[in-house]
Amino acid sequence: MNILFYLILSSIIFSIGLLGIFINRKNIITILMSIELMLLAVNINFIGFSNHLNDLSGQIFALFILVVAAAEAAVGLAILTIFFKRSGSISVDEINKMRG
Amino acid sequence: MVILSRNTVYSVLYLILSFFNAAIIFLMSNAEFLAMTLIIVYVGAVAVLFLFVVMMLNINVVQAKEGMLKYLPFGLVLISILLIELSLIFSDLPVFPESNTKIDISELLNNGNSNTKAIGLHLYTDYFIIFQISGFVLLVAMLGAIVLAYQKNENYIKQDVIRQLDSDRKKAIKLNDIKPNR
Repeated sequence: MNILFYLILSSIIFSIGLLGIFINRKNIITILMSIELMLLAVNINFIGFSNHLNDLSGQIFALFILVVAAAEAAVGLAILTIFFKRSGSISVDEINKMRG
Repeated sequence: MVILSRNTVYSVLYLILSFFNAAIIFLMSNAEFLAMTLIIVYVGAVAVLFLFVVMMLNINVVQAKEGMLKYLPFGLVLISILLIELSLIFSDLPVFPESNTKIDISELLNNGNSNTKAIGLHLYTDYFIIFQISGFVLLVAMLGAIVLAYQKNENYIKQDVIRQLDSDRKKAIKLNDIKPNR
């Protein structure tokens, strides 16, 4: 399979994730899911180049990205939970209440 | 669909769908272990975590979506600029060098190693430090999530060891001198 297909697919998925961060200003859960989508795009790039260059290192680094994404999702959701418990909403615009 | 659906549960389900598709793409490009890990880790753990949080915090859906149209043109302009730039880069892409870091997949497969065994052979030798660090990252994330989500329960009676050891017979029993027949 050509490497160009991987690049096009991952750039489209990355753009969808970025657009999701822009348009969902009221919903932090969706923003976290958009970040997961962007990490998935990076993983697709890694796997594509690993297949293209016949090199195993790409798969190993994709595994590490998976680890970091899981850790980030856990911590982000925990912060989201206590923020919702404090303020009763998950809007980005009200996060500045957290200071102090 | 992940970012556009009105209900957050639906967008989590679409996220699971897109992860399944990515796993199938990984399967097609000789990364069987990564595909299975993606399904297990994401569909099994992260997506269930997302669903749990979405159901635990019942969110006002209409209020959560009201600002979407305000930012849509700006976001679309930005994303189209990014996509045009990326397509310009891809159109005159130089030929990638065929050199790699001397971990040939085809050579490993010719030696009778499966994909999982090959990853293990290099993960536990060449990348051992990074492997340990990623384990530590997971530990810190777990502790952080527990500490953040922990809330003190005041109704819970705990054993106070110092107070328990400090008490003796004289403090616990009070002797009253009661005279009979009075």
